[in-house]
Amino acid sequence: MNKEIIIDKLRTIFINVLEHEDFEINDELSAGDVSGWDSLSHMLIIGEVEEMFSIKFKFKELNKMKNLGDMITLIGNKLNL
Amino acid sequence: MFDINIMATLLKVIESQEDKNAFCIAKKFYTYGQFAQCISKVRNELQTRAIESKNIGLIENDDLETYASIFALWLEGLAYVPISSDAPIDRNEDVIKQSNISVIIDSSESTKFSSYDLIESSKLTNLKLNLKTTIISEEDLVYILFTSGTTGRPKGVPISRSNLSAFVKSYEDLALNITNEDRCLQMFNLTFDLSVVSYLIPLLKGACVFTIPKNEIKYSYVYELLDEDDISVTMMVPSIIQYLRPYFDEMNFPKMKYSLFCGEALSLKLMEEWSECIPNASIINVYGPTEHTVFCTQYKYDSEKALNYNGSLSIGKQIGNSNLIIIDENGKLVPSGEKGELCLIGDQLMEGYWNNEKKSKEVFLNIEIDGVFHKAYRTGDLCFKDAQGFFFYSGRLDFQTKIQGFRVELSEIECHAKDYLDKINVVALAIENKLGNNEIGLVIESEETDTEDLFNYLKSKMPQYMIPTRLRFEPIFPLNINGKIDRKVLTALFLKNKENE
Repeated sequence: MNKEIIIDKLRTIFINVLEHEDFEINDELSAGDVSGWDSLSHMLIIGEVEEMFSIKFKFKELNKMKNLGDMITLIGNKLNL
Repeated sequence: MFDINIMATLLKVIESQEDKNAFCIAKKFYTYGQFAQCISKVRNELQTRAIESKNIGLIENDDLETYASIFALWLEGLAYVPISSDAPIDRNEDVIKQSNISVIIDSSESTKFSSYDLIESSKLTNLKLNLKTTIISEEDLVYILFTSGTTGRPKGVPISRSNLSAFVKSYEDLALNITNEDRCLQMFNLTFDLSVVSYLIPLLKGACVFTIPKNEIKYSYVYELLDEDDISVTMMVPSIIQYLRPYFDEMNFPKMKYSLFCGEALSLKLMEEWSECIPNASIINVYGPTEHTVFCTQYKYDSEKALNYNGSLSIGKQIGNSNLIIIDENGKLVPSGEKGELCLIGDQLMEGYWNNEKKSKEVFLNIEIDGVFHKAYRTGDLCFKDAQGFFFYSGRLDFQTKIQGFRVELSEIECHAKDYLDKINVVALAIENKLGNNEIGLVIESEETDTEDLFNYLKSKMPQYMIPTRLRFEPIFPLNINGKIDRKVLTALFLKNKENE
């Protein structure tokens, strides 16, 4: 799995949870940029990500995650890419 | 007595341990000595002002000035009305007007309230100690909190010195051993009365209060405090723990002594798992509406024989002189085991909604017990009592729901949405999400259409937690056999669509 596939899957998850497509996926994307991505939907997104990639985050890792780039890197690390 | 139970106790704490920490705010510690100075500087300023109304607006910031202002006001016999600068202007103006506020205390760098008689507390300089109590009537108010109202207008719950003093006395029935070595969590907005127990009780015990900065994600910051600051006493709403739940296996907080929950039904299963993370702590479920000052029951969780109904823990038994009564539709007491509306009697009960006799009449009832009439508050909560006298919550009688512990009248949301949409019907519903927390779903009776303007309108009228996070369209609303809109079918709409995705 390469970065493009990860991004593609993330896009699907975001659309499912947030119920809209008004965002563009890039490394700097963070919660403040996307309507509806708040502390509550964040946990739902994380749950979907864990399920989709069959990985498990540690809470400490999540606390350090500042933007989508961090999330993609973290997913990559978990998948040993 | 408020002066003895609360003010004198706090002043004794300040005197005896001025170098001990009173607050930890955004990683910075403040001593009781600094807190005393801060209270004094606000009081010194208040004494120079001509105060027309006893209700003072307090802009909610996460800083020492905001907490100190509360006690400065109480020393002067004044009440605070918390105002969130993030709330819509319309709502704040309504609250300010309804409660007749003339003076506002704001610690912000740049204030949004310059059109009012303003005390900019962070710019005050007269630190001369000024903590002597004066004689003030027990009937004077300590705060007014505004809660969601069915007609689209929030209603004010005024709490008096005697109410709050009764609560502090009731709290002793919990028999918790909180000392000046304890580190206590305060995670609530001041507009929510669980903040009162979270800052007040620790200060009366000389403990340290840990707050949450405004822009932080609450459950993340709570975790950090528990993990890094060895918090020993917490009051939380269950939804916070619900968010941490998937990560319980990496959580271990041996320093935790007391973990209290309030504000929502408390899941037994959640507590079975949470208790593993806090091996040395007691878990206590408490219950109470804002109208009856913070809470008035307690249930100590016992893993061996946890009392529960449909998987939710019992709310336990009354504390202090609160009396819990369950009545049927005709206002008659029901026998134990039978469900009915829970009514509350006792010294923690408010006098009545602020300037709203009509609403007050709706919620008060005279109940005769052993030949004596008592003023009782109808909670709107459906409850029953078991043979041993333990109470159990089993749902709401109306369309009120809880979002992150906040009370939300679904009809208030519908009211605003209908105002905007004009003649198009809408229904607001509580939808349980995958994590087991409530979200608000809005169903609009129409074909799919653009709703950006509608949502902008809603955001201008209601706080963020009341804005629906799920949306569905239904060309014609289904009706149930009574001819009412079938809310169950509409609720299922959200769940069904989710499965198909």
